[in-house]
Amino acid sequence: MRKTLQKNSLRTTVAVILCGICFVTVITAQPKTVKNAGKTDIKDDAKSMPVYGHWKNFTTKDGLPSDHAYCVRIDGKRVLVGTHDGLAVYEDGKWETYTTKDGLAHNGVLSIDVSELTGDVWIGTLGGLNRWSAGKFETFTQFNSGLPNDLVYCVICDGKDVWTATGGGAGHYDTYTKEWEIFTEKNAPMHEPWTYGVSAGDGKIFIAAWGGGVIEYTKKTKQFKDYTDPDGEMEIDLLPDDGVVHDITTATSWADGMLWVSTYFGMSSYDGTHWKGYFDHDSGLASNFINFLRAEGPVVFICTDKGLSSTNGKSWVTYKKNDNSSDGMAIIKNYGRISDSTINKTTREVPLTPSIAHNFIIGVDADNDVLWVATEKGVSRGELIK
Amino acid sequence: MKLNCRLLSVVGLILCSVSILTGQDDKQNYGKATDEIFPYQRFQKAYKYFFLEPIQFYGAGREIPPPKDIKEVRIGFLGPLEGSEIVSLGKQMLQGASLAIDEANKKGGYHGIPFKLMIHNDVGAWGAAANEVVKMDDEKVWAWLGSIDDIVSHVAIRATLKLEIPMVCPGDPDPTFTETNIPWVIRVISDDRQSSYALVNQIYKKDGHSRVAVIRANNRYGRVGIKIFSETATRVGHPMVIEERFNDGETDFKTQLERIMATAPDAILIWGNARESGLILQQMRAMGLEQPIYGSDRMVSPEFLKIAGNLADGIMTTCQYNPNSDNPKLKVFQTNYFNRFGLEPDVFAAHAYDGMNMIIESINKVGLNRVLIRDVLTDLKTFQGYQGVTGKKVFDKSWNNIADIWIAKVRHGKFEFTSAPSIDPKNKVGSKTGNY
Repeated sequence: MRKTLQKNSLRTTVAVILCGICFVTVITAQPKTVKNAGKTDIKDDAKSMPVYGHWKNFTTKDGLPSDHAYCVRIDGKRVLVGTHDGLAVYEDGKWETYTTKDGLAHNGVLSIDVSELTGDVWIGTLGGLNRWSAGKFETFTQFNSGLPNDLVYCVICDGKDVWTATGGGAGHYDTYTKEWEIFTEKNAPMHEPWTYGVSAGDGKIFIAAWGGGVIEYTKKTKQFKDYTDPDGEMEIDLLPDDGVVHDITTATSWADGMLWVSTYFGMSSYDGTHWKGYFDHDSGLASNFINFLRAEGPVVFICTDKGLSSTNGKSWVTYKKNDNSSDGMAIIKNYGRISDSTINKTTREVPLTPSIAHNFIIGVDADNDVLWVATEKGVSRGELIK
Repeated sequence: MKLNCRLLSVVGLILCSVSILTGQDDKQNYGKATDEIFPYQRFQKAYKYFFLEPIQFYGAGREIPPPKDIKEVRIGFLGPLEGSEIVSLGKQMLQGASLAIDEANKKGGYHGIPFKLMIHNDVGAWGAAANEVVKMDDEKVWAWLGSIDDIVSHVAIRATLKLEIPMVCPGDPDPTFTETNIPWVIRVISDDRQSSYALVNQIYKKDGHSRVAVIRANNRYGRVGIKIFSETATRVGHPMVIEERFNDGETDFKTQLERIMATAPDAILIWGNARESGLILQQMRAMGLEQPIYGSDRMVSPEFLKIAGNLADGIMTTCQYNPNSDNPKLKVFQTNYFNRFGLEPDVFAAHAYDGMNMIIESINKVGLNRVLIRDVLTDLKTFQGYQGVTGKKVFDKSWNNIADIWIAKVRHGKFEFTSAPSIDPKNKVGSKTGNY
């Protein structure tokens, strides 16, 4: 009887010690999380990274043609939003919609950019490219112009030049000469003509080629160079900082000497010498599934399927909506991968009332103190918290 | 003693839990690859492994109510129907899909509303497949089925992701098709990764060859298919001795075959469409190349047998299903298909029939909502182990069908099907050296 008691007592002690070890291990493996609703903390965090709040959301109830928004572009005092059912323009507190009846090539508007030279608005749609100038829509298709394909995933303006990423290759349109160039696997280092994103910076054009990584085009020399995942395998990323994390790229954006590249497998940055990879398990990235990104100065805004993340490469701010309410939070993280196995992380969660419209983010644009976000369930406008 | 054992077990369990909490846990390799053939696995653990967990769709749309007053339930079809080298395959795929639609409509359609196939040809200039998917969105299809050609399918999946239309692929074996992390796509046919693994096992481990020459189509089907074979062969210690290419429609392969002959391989692998594969075999034998011949899945075709004639005997290739199986569902399908179209169904017809039935079953289960249809197709429960006419479907976390495939061998002018050899790293490699 006594032996049994001793045995039971020993077992209990061992179990308690092991539970303790287990508990401590779990606790130390989790990021430090501090919940704080005080605005003072937001200001402190905003010193290193901009933090946006006072969110206002817009849906069809407010005048959008569709809640499914693909893209957003700030154009001075107005905001242009591409939706599944038309182009929406927000000006003086009102929304106005433009569709095929007004001259749009297709109601599905995937991408918008504004020419700094002329003020013309270039619109990439599911059925062609539009130039909106002086109140009129001019349509470019693969049959009436040199547009590579009518499905225009991305359009950008770069001085007098317009670049498109389409379902049939990248297209370059010179607005002065009115000539098109088409770049496919036949004249550029792509395996196939599958382009998805395009951006400009540093005298170069950066094309996100689906399955082909990043295609860099130097405007001065007209030479191409490609950046692909060095391990050459789809099912792994062998080393995190050896190049672009995956060849299925979705967008590129260049600012402040840094090229940012998004994929459905994580994100990469490239300073011209070194690549760095970011995943959801070793950074503040909300998700590895990234639809789009846009860099503004030192900060890149990342559209993921689980919220909007932003980072300067060191600190992270992610905006997320709660599942069952209009409220949400800004998750502020300082994350740094010290080595492949050691990650330094601290986390602060700041409640936001209200929050962004939806966590599935497809488009973003920032300008001065304002951030606009296109989501699957409406458009959101946030203000910089000063 | 007992206490020590228990203590060790508990400590082991805790260590296991800690390992899971602090990093990616070890699971079965992607694609059913053994450690021997998994990239870099013998030398270094990768920093990040993909496709071990399914990507969820976190977007909106599940709350959208079904439309009222519709007169037909539209399902899209995309395939090579005109202007392509593989029109015959596309037509079989269309017929398989049509048969499934007709049978569903005979059973009352969807709550009395007939299903209607919205048919699109995927052949055209400058990424036509993307435009066809946009048209399907405009037509308000609830899901779509297609295609065969790798380039077409890749263009189409980007559009289907953007437009959020569920897609079932019954014909494209390109491994990279589902390696795109798109949560709107499933594939019901086994891919070239499984074919390549099976061929490597058959050629090097079972048949004991070591010096294998390759002649392959100079298109994406040939390039991507042979990539996996080549890498896998290298990992088991036998890089290809030569890789020659030919273009679709080419008829004279003398130059490539002379180069192959010069390397004195002990086996030759042909990776291409049926017509070119048959011609290559003819010319190979005429030149005195008597090595054993292996091939890719598209050789399993009446066209290949017709061109190759008696020379086809002994040729071995892979096939994604066994058309001689005793599966009662398959027998009924084959009878109905023959009665309706006057010919035997091929691999694309059979997989299209299965894929279309899965779409129909999904719609019947959750109604007319694209996101909910997607949810059912990708939940890895509803259709996991699905018994179709092509056999049992086994979906991995990227919704790729990794069910066992078959080795097809020509005997007396007909293909005979046996299970592909199991992947066993202990099997001896290169025991047979050819002397041709």
